[in-house]
Amino acid sequence: MALDGIIILDHYGRPIIQSGFRSSTTAYSLLHIDAVNNALQKAERSADVDSVIYVPPSNTANGSSACCHVEVGDLRFLCPVSGDVDPLLAFAFLQTFIDILREYLGTVSAATLRDNFDIVYQLFEETLDSGGHPLTTYSNALRDIVIPPSLLNKLLSVTGTNFNSTINSGFGAGAAVGPFSSPLPWRKTGVRYNNNEIYFDIIEQLKAIVNKNGTVVSSHVHGKIEANAKLSGTPDCSLNFTNPQVLDDCALHPCVRLHRWNRDKMLSFVPPDGRFTLMDYTFSSNPLTSPTPTQQSLPSVMSSRSNLAIPFMIKAIVKLEDSGGSFDVTLTSRYSTHALENIVADINLGAGAGGIRCNVSRGSGGGGFINAGGSRNLDTSGASSGASWSFDAQRTVLRWEIPIVSPSSSWSLHGSFSTGTRAPRPSHAIRVRFDISSHTYSALKVGQLKVTNAKENYKPYKGVRGRSSGEVEWRW
Amino acid sequence: MSQPGQDAKFFQRGKIEEFRAELLAAETKDKKFVKRKTVLKKIVANITMGMDMSPLFPDVVQCLGTPLLEIKKMVYLFLVSYGRSKPDQIHLVIPNFLQDCNDRNPLIRALAIRTMSYIPIPVVTEALSDNLRHALKDRDPYVRKTAAICVAKLYSADPRKAERGGFVELLRDLMLDSNATVVANAVAALSEIGDRQDGVIFKLNLATANKLLAAIPESSEWGQIYILDSLLRYVPERHTDAEMMAERIIVQLQHGNSAVILTTIKALLYLMNYMENRQLIDYICKKMGPPLVTLLSSGPEVQYVALRNILLIIQRRPTVLKNDVRIFFCKYNDPIYIKLAKLEIMYRLARAENAKEVLAELQEYASEVDLDFVRKAVRSIGRLAIKVEAAADDCIQALLDLIETKVTYVVQEAVIVIKDIFRRYPGKYEGIIPNLCENLDALDEPEAKASMVWILGQYANIIDNADELLDDLCYTFLEESTEVQLALLTAVVKLFVYKSKVDKAKELVHKVLKWTTEEADNPDLRDRGFMYWRMLAINPTVAGEIVLSEKPPITTDSDRMDRGALDQLLLHTGTLGSIYHKNPETFIRNAAGKALKDSPALNAHSRAVLIPLARTQLPSMGPIVVAGPGPTEPQAQSSPVAPLPPAKTDVDTSALPTQSSQLISPTQDDVANDQDETEEDDEPPHSTQASKLDPYSNLDNAFGGYLADEPRPMASRQHDDDDDLLF
Repeated sequence: MALDGIIILDHYGRPIIQSGFRSSTTAYSLLHIDAVNNALQKAERSADVDSVIYVPPSNTANGSSACCHVEVGDLRFLCPVSGDVDPLLAFAFLQTFIDILREYLGTVSAATLRDNFDIVYQLFEETLDSGGHPLTTYSNALRDIVIPPSLLNKLLSVTGTNFNSTINSGFGAGAAVGPFSSPLPWRKTGVRYNNNEIYFDIIEQLKAIVNKNGTVVSSHVHGKIEANAKLSGTPDCSLNFTNPQVLDDCALHPCVRLHRWNRDKMLSFVPPDGRFTLMDYTFSSNPLTSPTPTQQSLPSVMSSRSNLAIPFMIKAIVKLEDSGGSFDVTLTSRYSTHALENIVADINLGAGAGGIRCNVSRGSGGGGFINAGGSRNLDTSGASSGASWSFDAQRTVLRWEIPIVSPSSSWSLHGSFSTGTRAPRPSHAIRVRFDISSHTYSALKVGQLKVTNAKENYKPYKGVRGRSSGEVEWRW
Repeated sequence: MSQPGQDAKFFQRGKIEEFRAELLAAETKDKKFVKRKTVLKKIVANITMGMDMSPLFPDVVQCLGTPLLEIKKMVYLFLVSYGRSKPDQIHLVIPNFLQDCNDRNPLIRALAIRTMSYIPIPVVTEALSDNLRHALKDRDPYVRKTAAICVAKLYSADPRKAERGGFVELLRDLMLDSNATVVANAVAALSEIGDRQDGVIFKLNLATANKLLAAIPESSEWGQIYILDSLLRYVPERHTDAEMMAERIIVQLQHGNSAVILTTIKALLYLMNYMENRQLIDYICKKMGPPLVTLLSSGPEVQYVALRNILLIIQRRPTVLKNDVRIFFCKYNDPIYIKLAKLEIMYRLARAENAKEVLAELQEYASEVDLDFVRKAVRSIGRLAIKVEAAADDCIQALLDLIETKVTYVVQEAVIVIKDIFRRYPGKYEGIIPNLCENLDALDEPEAKASMVWILGQYANIIDNADELLDDLCYTFLEESTEVQLALLTAVVKLFVYKSKVDKAKELVHKVLKWTTEEADNPDLRDRGFMYWRMLAINPTVAGEIVLSEKPPITTDSDRMDRGALDQLLLHTGTLGSIYHKNPETFIRNAAGKALKDSPALNAHSRAVLIPLARTQLPSMGPIVVAGPGPTEPQAQSSPVAPLPPAKTDVDTSALPTQSSQLISPTQDDVANDQDETEEDDEPPHSTQASKLDPYSNLDNAFGGYLADEPRPMASRQHDDDDDLLF
């Protein structure tokens, strides 16, 4: 199991910075950079490039290897692997490393990397051993060994001349408590806040496919709870839910005590300091009692996950003719209390499409009623109600955007297009993305959050928010 | 003062001489070492840009005495980059190394040994050996965990020396350390050593394995991965050992890290080979499904790895994800490699109960834009018809609808699969032949054309104008590809056998036989022409019986990979091997192969298909032999994996030093006991295809290229029921 290193490429495919490839020749990293750039050049869409690229050996002395790569903003992170490595290890590590960079640098871009190359180098050194073993990746522990740029700035200005004498025998920041002195790898000791607070965001995403009869073919709600803990000392939290039966397939942060969760569905944990993802889950709208090894449950014939109602409805009438076609799409909200926001509907009109003429309008229904919670003021008069359309000629995608769809209102888009080829071949699917604030599909409710702390006694401020988004493929 | 965060300006190419002068100047009047720091940063930035800064070696080394950690780190970075290339000057640094190894600050102690381990030069290795021994027993866990990894480096620099120095034993001791991270790193180092061809074999006994499991909750995710992975080095001696261990690690399926999940699944799949409790196995299979589904909500990169692994897992353990076929429905926007992987899984998961849903999806895909995907979707409809009898009617109807669209490539794919459907259900669907004949002109690809010709010949007796149609097709006989020519030859012979009285048939067969024997360049075609000619000349009746002999109906049940090969591949779950669906030692140099090891606890079903592993020594030069995916190749060729030797020896593995090179044979008795359930597996599982350097070159097949599940005679394997695969 070994990751050979990390290479970060800029937008043009040129390397910005890379970890030292110590157990291989210098040509090795170049080989991988070339392989990725070639593959990207060949592909029509960059997303169509396999995420694990096979890299043939440059000469017979070297074995072949593979390159795992992932795009982040204007950068591309490569992780060459040789030997029989778990590519997921590479991706998991890349993700972790990118998260660390984000925490250290704020935004991750070619400019910030160049500005802080020494920090990035130190991070390479501390997070990935040259033999390919990931080392320290908990940012709590990392901050002890690699001082984040902002903190270092502050230290330099505050400690002045004393700085030099202390740094060699410990650390300016952590001299009192040495690094890695904490028994919990994810939390450092001696954290102190004036205002103790802990926040939870419950974020759910719906992914669904609806067929042309309007029947939901497949739907899946993936949720996660993100937390931001600013608590002093070593707090012990226990969080329970009033309706834990909606949670399924839970994946928990390592800080959560698994046996407590399995026994009484209680999240008991000592949180890391700062932001972290407490748990990932699937919303099962049709909870089954989980089978136990002693009782054999009957195999259910159909999928155990029943389908969730989609928050809107689409009626699409598309007529295809020779060298073109016309379409009339209506989107109606099915929600009566929540507004759908930032709706983006994409229709791929197929190769050679062009000559788009479109008209967007707000249909009947819903009246001027706007979600009581929302303070937005909408102009409800016809086409100027904020909805718009655009066409990406290169990808032949027609995009229809509606900033806000108030409860039970309906919207429509009609128009026509022409194609260069005789038979138009648009995709038979409309891809719709949307957000809903202050709402979760699962209606997961936090029952109680207890924060206990042996040494200090404080009452932290606690907050829970929910938000949802969705990505629906509606076929016609 | 150089402020961090504004260092882009250092990315200017500098001259060696300038840097040297600046370093020299910095030796005096350098308040707070600011000047030195600035120069060093410039130098490091130049290394990043690929400039050779090695001439500065003696100058930079001078800075090592500076009591500032930041400077020390940069000098060490420089040393790591150029130390190897300066064997004559490296001795200058040794005193500094030694001093830092005894520093008060554990970070510096660790930094020093880590840096030394990166420089595989005898003087440094020598100095490292002594200090490493202390570091492994350092009171600070950070130093111990760093030292553990350094042992692996020392080992790769000089294996025998590291063994003589007793470092392997020291590492073993560290597995019992009180700090979980130290334990995990010791395991990582031992694994790395064990994976080397010349390394000390690393295996675990029950006590150590349990001790490692206890360290899991406090480890970082990477540590957990090392520990879980090392469980594959433990061979359970009793069923209960395997079962208890599985119960202990099953909670890790709830981990947030995808690599941990997949490693856990790998360990569980491995342990299941040593279990006998049916209910527990069933339970574990059920538990593995949801985390795999969770992986699919990650980015496309992770999805891809997950899908490839799911494809392997469900072939071996069909109960996993049995009811979740909908999760794999393709989105319009999925990257093509994700779509193809999903398509293959959908086909594998299709059963009578969900065939309707799957078919509806496949029909949807057949109208998509992406040509390659559409073809695969159409083929999948045909395969579905062959696999699930209950859905065959609907599939045929779907294919006929697709033929109606007259889109040429759709029609061609449909014709190809319909040919196989005819063979699977003889006498059932021949009524649709007229529909096919209408589209004869649309066929321009050899495979589709050959398929249609086969249909025309095979059913010439019920196609009234078969002679005319074949005659038309023969106009361009000499320009056709060999595939089509061969099909035409056979078809006209069949036509003649059916309708020997008809003049046109006589004329046609004569014409084609003459062409093939006199004008064809291809020896196969010519030989076949002669063969038919002689058969027809000697005894037309017998020739007819031979040409139109009854064919065994076909099935795609056999398109699963061989059981034994699957068991072996699953030991590589989550690794490159499982992505390429090949054993890694066949395409990665120096990769150690893995094989299930026999033990009293190995359940009979797994033992029956056990593939022993030879520690392959790959040739140091020349092409690397790559094994193709199991099902594609003909069965018996020279094989990298030796076929099961006739089992006679009763090997008591517990008594032997288990080397992976050992061929462990199943005992005759065990095989005999289970003969009735396992007779399907009596063939050598894996055969080679001559050197294909690029494992990707075969990926198409692995994705369910049609070849991969070339329908085969039904008779040979009919007893692949799911129950059998529970073990």
